[in-house]
Amino acid sequence: MSLTIFLSQVVPVRQKLYRFAYRLLENEEDAMDITQDALMKVWQQQERMNDLQNMEAWCMRIVRNLALDKLKSRKYRRSEGLDKAGDVPAQHQPNPHTAAEQQDVMNRVHRVIAALPEKYRTIMQLRDIDGYSYQEIADILVIELSEVKINLHRARKTVREQLQKLQVYGV
Amino acid sequence: MEFNKIRELLDRYWDGTSTLEEEEALRSFFSSDQADLPADLKEAQPLFSYFAAEADVPMPVFPDIEIPVTRTPERPVKQLVWQHWMKYAAVVLVAVGIGYAARQAEARHDRITAALSEQDTFDDPEKAFAVTQKALALLSRNLNKGTAQMQKLSYFNEATEKIKAN
Repeated sequence: MSLTIFLSQVVPVRQKLYRFAYRLLENEEDAMDITQDALMKVWQQQERMNDLQNMEAWCMRIVRNLALDKLKSRKYRRSEGLDKAGDVPAQHQPNPHTAAEQQDVMNRVHRVIAALPEKYRTIMQLRDIDGYSYQEIADILVIELSEVKINLHRARKTVREQLQKLQVYGV
Repeated sequence: MEFNKIRELLDRYWDGTSTLEEEEALRSFFSSDQADLPADLKEAQPLFSYFAAEADVPMPVFPDIEIPVTRTPERPVKQLVWQHWMKYAAVVLVAVGIGYAARQAEARHDRITAALSEQDTFDDPEKAFAVTQKALALLSRNLNKGTAQMQKLSYFNEATEKIKAN
């Protein structure tokens, strides 16, 4: 793979890679490091590029492996992320009270999603936030297509139940 | 879009059977201001708002990748091989160990066989003679038994010949 191909095909995916790493690690610096490491790894394994059917999925897989290694390696402590979702400005809320309420709801949803098992969470995020197809998710996670569908169904079911609890009991 | 259509899409969404286009339609519906939604649709609103917010994560300024990449031209294949030198060394050691053990076992076996073959059965020649004589006598007895049977057969043959001649 020439540098030109690397720069034109791999580097543009960097934002998606960063977003994926950030969601796994919940830390901007680490996500940035993992993204850079992943790009370097892709470059180092350039001889494999010709055999790949889905390069983006391969890059995402590298990011996931690196991020999970990091999480495992030093008992990585995910920041609680209580206010992560709330950091996003509520653009449609001119009223500060409504904005704060909105942030609170976002934090609750964030906690529900964060409480899912890693595989469920990742599948749901890849589908519902990044908009990947079932096949692309299967390629990224190296699992069967049917497994993607089953896990996505279970993840959504769990999230729905938790959201209903939140709405009914406010817990 | 009417609420019934959204309900239908939501059902498919919760079941995990919705398509990407349908999910996009849901995201687009919930991203617009929906003040007075029915309760069943309200349930999903926070989730889709959350998805929209998460998709909008602020991007940092990425450092230049071109320079570090060009400094690392290609990973030499030889280096890859040498990275695993301990594995190869272990395999070689095990192979050498097994080979050495096998050779030792074979040599030992040969030595024992040679020693046994060189060893005399008897120290006293008279005893050895007696035992040999006994063994030959046994052989001779058995041979004689066979010869006696053959003698009977020869009588029978002779008789047959005589009858044929007459």
